[in-house]
Amino acid sequence: MIQENVFQEFGRKSFQNLKKWMVGAALACLTTTPALASDTRVALVPGGPHPYFAAWEKAGQDAKRDFGLSGADYRVPQKWELSQQNQLLESLLTQGYNGFLIFPGDPVGTNSIASELTAEGTPVIALAGCLKQPTPAVFCLGTDTGNSAYLGTKELIKTLGGKGKIAHFTGFLVDPNTQLRIDAVQKAANETGGAVEVIQVIADIDAPEPAEEKINAFLAAQADKVDGIVTTAWVPAVVAANSLRKIGDKRIKMVGIDHDEVVLKAIKDGYVHGTMLQNPYGQGYIGSFAMDKLRSGCKVNQNAPFKTTALTNQFIDSGTAFVGRDKVDTYIGAMEAVTKDLMASFESTYLVCN
Amino acid sequence: MPLQKLLKTEWSGLLLVVILAIMLIGYLKPSFLTPFNIQILLAAISVNMVIALAQMLIVGIGQMNLSVGAIGGLVAISFAGLMDVFQLPIPLAVLVGLLIGLAAGLFNGVIIAFTGISAFIITLASLSVFKGINLGITEAQPFYGVAESVKSFGNSSLLGTLPLLIIPMLVCLVGVWVLLNRMRYGRHLLAVGASPTAASLVGISVRNIVIGTHALSGLLAAVAGMMVVARLQIGQPTIGDDWLILSFAAPVIGGAVLAGGHVNVIGTLLGVTTIAIITQALVLFEIDPFIVQIFLGLLILWAVGINRLRDLRLTLFSKPA
Amino acid sequence: MSSAQGSSTKSMGSDQSSIRKFFFSNEFGLLFLIVVFATIFALLTTGFTSRFNLYALGRNISIDVVIGFSMMVVIVTGGLNLSVGSIGVSAVMFGGWLLEGMGSNLPVAFIFLLLGGALLGAINGVMVVRTGVHSFIITLATMSVYFGLMIWLTQAEAFRNLPPEVATFGRTKIYGYLSPLLLISLGVAILLAILYRYTSLGRNMLAAGANPTAAELSGVNVKRTFILCHALSGLLAALAATMLTCRTGAAIPSMTGHIGQDWLLPAFLAPVLGGTLLSGGKVSVLGTFFGAVLVSLLTNGLLLLQVSEFWVQAVLGALLLSAVLLEKLRNVVLLQNRFI
Repeated sequence: MIQENVFQEFGRKSFQNLKKWMVGAALACLTTTPALASDTRVALVPGGPHPYFAAWEKAGQDAKRDFGLSGADYRVPQKWELSQQNQLLESLLTQGYNGFLIFPGDPVGTNSIASELTAEGTPVIALAGCLKQPTPAVFCLGTDTGNSAYLGTKELIKTLGGKGKIAHFTGFLVDPNTQLRIDAVQKAANETGGAVEVIQVIADIDAPEPAEEKINAFLAAQADKVDGIVTTAWVPAVVAANSLRKIGDKRIKMVGIDHDEVVLKAIKDGYVHGTMLQNPYGQGYIGSFAMDKLRSGCKVNQNAPFKTTALTNQFIDSGTAFVGRDKVDTYIGAMEAVTKDLMASFESTYLVCN
Repeated sequence: MPLQKLLKTEWSGLLLVVILAIMLIGYLKPSFLTPFNIQILLAAISVNMVIALAQMLIVGIGQMNLSVGAIGGLVAISFAGLMDVFQLPIPLAVLVGLLIGLAAGLFNGVIIAFTGISAFIITLASLSVFKGINLGITEAQPFYGVAESVKSFGNSSLLGTLPLLIIPMLVCLVGVWVLLNRMRYGRHLLAVGASPTAASLVGISVRNIVIGTHALSGLLAAVAGMMVVARLQIGQPTIGDDWLILSFAAPVIGGAVLAGGHVNVIGTLLGVTTIAIITQALVLFEIDPFIVQIFLGLLILWAVGINRLRDLRLTLFSKPA
Repeated sequence: MSSAQGSSTKSMGSDQSSIRKFFFSNEFGLLFLIVVFATIFALLTTGFTSRFNLYALGRNISIDVVIGFSMMVVIVTGGLNLSVGSIGVSAVMFGGWLLEGMGSNLPVAFIFLLLGGALLGAINGVMVVRTGVHSFIITLATMSVYFGLMIWLTQAEAFRNLPPEVATFGRTKIYGYLSPLLLISLGVAILLAILYRYTSLGRNMLAAGANPTAAELSGVNVKRTFILCHALSGLLAALAATMLTCRTGAAIPSMTGHIGQDWLLPAFLAPVLGGTLLSGGKVSVLGTFFGAVLVSLLTNGLLLLQVSEFWVQAVLGALLLSAVLLEKLRNVVLLQNRFI
């Protein structure tokens, strides 16, 4: 894990930064002048710090090595705030980055900065979340969040034997994905014709303290009434997994999201039924690859089999998979396989190159 | 006679409200009074009480400490990080955590006392510094390797209802109560809050009181930060981000005067309890999550109104003639 | 310059002494720091003086300046307004609803959203003067209430189909590197300077803030004046949020952070660095402007120096702390040497 080396790396990083400052000027000069090949310098910019995006760092490094890019750096706004992200993007453009993979801080609000970036000649790809059309982003590569929530709920309903009462814990209300997820969970429940009922939705808990308080309060009051839990955001999944372990209840079935080690361990120990995996590594890796291609003369194939979502009709699914107890040890391999599959046919499917 | 005395204490009204609320919610939702739920409630109260105490002391000297959450967060990730990265034994990690909190509080206190710049400004700036160090160390990623015994401390309970977390809270509560009510330092602290000029005229070192109180506030914030780590089982960088409103709301509900010189430990405890009960009731009654925020704000306004009423009542009582 | 003091309506004095005063003023200190840091960044980074960066920097400054003003006008009363972020976002969401839900045109929506912001500010003011409770507690509560009401009424849905002129305005470049938003904030600064220096209303605000009892005795309606200060704060918060909306092209519930708390730091830093006294009665429009410029400049420069994003906040906090301390030190030295 990245965080294990934080302290050791801290010293090294500070030193690197110092060096960066000194050579920064020269470096920026070099990279802004167009070279023949692989002068692509990609910035992978999430909406804010969140463990989900940590895999982008390694994905960028691997892509830089594998495709000979001049850079593929993971740059995080220090806070989850649209204007912080905008400011960072402006700064990165000034620093000489010439390709942007962006998780939009807002599906419409980010279009404004995206069009300023493209006006300066740098392509933009929306990564892990989409920009609403009309958008200057060439396409959107990410998880179909509604679909993932829907599939997760279906898995939960299956293990419940097709009936029961379920609760849904999800993320920030201001995140547009949250409503999609609430609707998707409801839709899966509705399809059972009333056999499965969503008895409570607890939202706005993608931060550990409120999540702790509210999830525990819910379990305290309703543990005997609820049969299943579906969580569709990272922190609630972690907190709910911990709470189920704490009360030692294996009767309540839970389907989580993402690959936090707390959730994975709870799956191994039988407190959580499974988790809906997303593919952040693949997004970063394939996104960097596509960016380099786009900068070296390729165009987006307008006839490619894009999917359509509520936001865009140029959506590419980076893959989602349910991981239960049987696959929990090999989930990384599973996701790498998905990435490989997508990668193998990516250029021929989605791009037109001379 | 004891009853009469109880009625005259300033928090009697609040106590009545809390008891009535518990009875009403318990009647409407029997699951509210199950041992497990009580345990959850007490765990929430324990952590929040220590946070509130950290702010209450500073309110006592008529200042504000906006950096309570940032100190708590910095201590939380240091505490978890020391166990995770350096495998430090728990007592040592706790000690270092306390020292960081103490140092952060001293930092605030020394600057405020020696420059005379408003505590509001200094702690606003130091908030940014402490939170920035937190983000710089963690890069916003949590530390997972919290020692098992710390985790179990945060999760265990006595008799199924009393969480162990209540122990550090009681230690802090009794400590602060004794400090304020039985020790010369506490009397001086409140005297400085009531009027720094008058206090220094009678020979109290305002500077020492300000520094000492900020150090204590940092220490309490550190305890709260480590308690949250035990409760959450991870060292999250976001710990402390949302302490600000709570830290002020509870002492104010409990009768603290923002201008300084008057705080109440038991009142603050009841304030924390009120907030915890309301937070839980909102979940129990499945109230639209969008409305929760409005409730929290109205609660503070309500408390302010109650305090106004209490002031009126006090003035009525104090003018018997 | 445009700094004004409540108690004295001092005559301009001789030109020489007012020039000398400016050199020893807080505003000059800030200007000096701005020039020093700008020079450092221009020398150490290549991008700093690029057209795009100057344009982007100016645009960021313009919004921070108005946020700073929205706090400054309340600090005048010796109070503060923690709810600026909540008021700002509530106002633009109201404007978004007028545009999308009611189909009103841009000028009408703009005027009504400003009035909406002023109304929310006035509610703060009324509660503060009626209850006598410190504005810190009142606005701590209303930041939660306003934001909660806004989120509940909008169900956290953004207004994303605003007229395209909104976003176009936010992207407009005058001569390649000047944002019209910067002109707006300059205009606001001039209006505020006129208010405090040349109008009786502004002078009453300063007098009431400096010493409410004395002001009341000399015939100022202190309560009404305080309510007006809070209303003005709400109006400026709404304006800042509108400028931010031009920047993004959509009215988004999260644009000022959870319960609007992302605005607190910029809102306080600019006036405090600018020399506005937290105890009230003294205000410096120019200082607040320079304060906001300094903060935006430092953020921009630190990012360009490739300080890790995560360390920017710590460095910024440390720099600001030293700025406050240096300012204090300067005052002490000046006082000891009887320069002022």
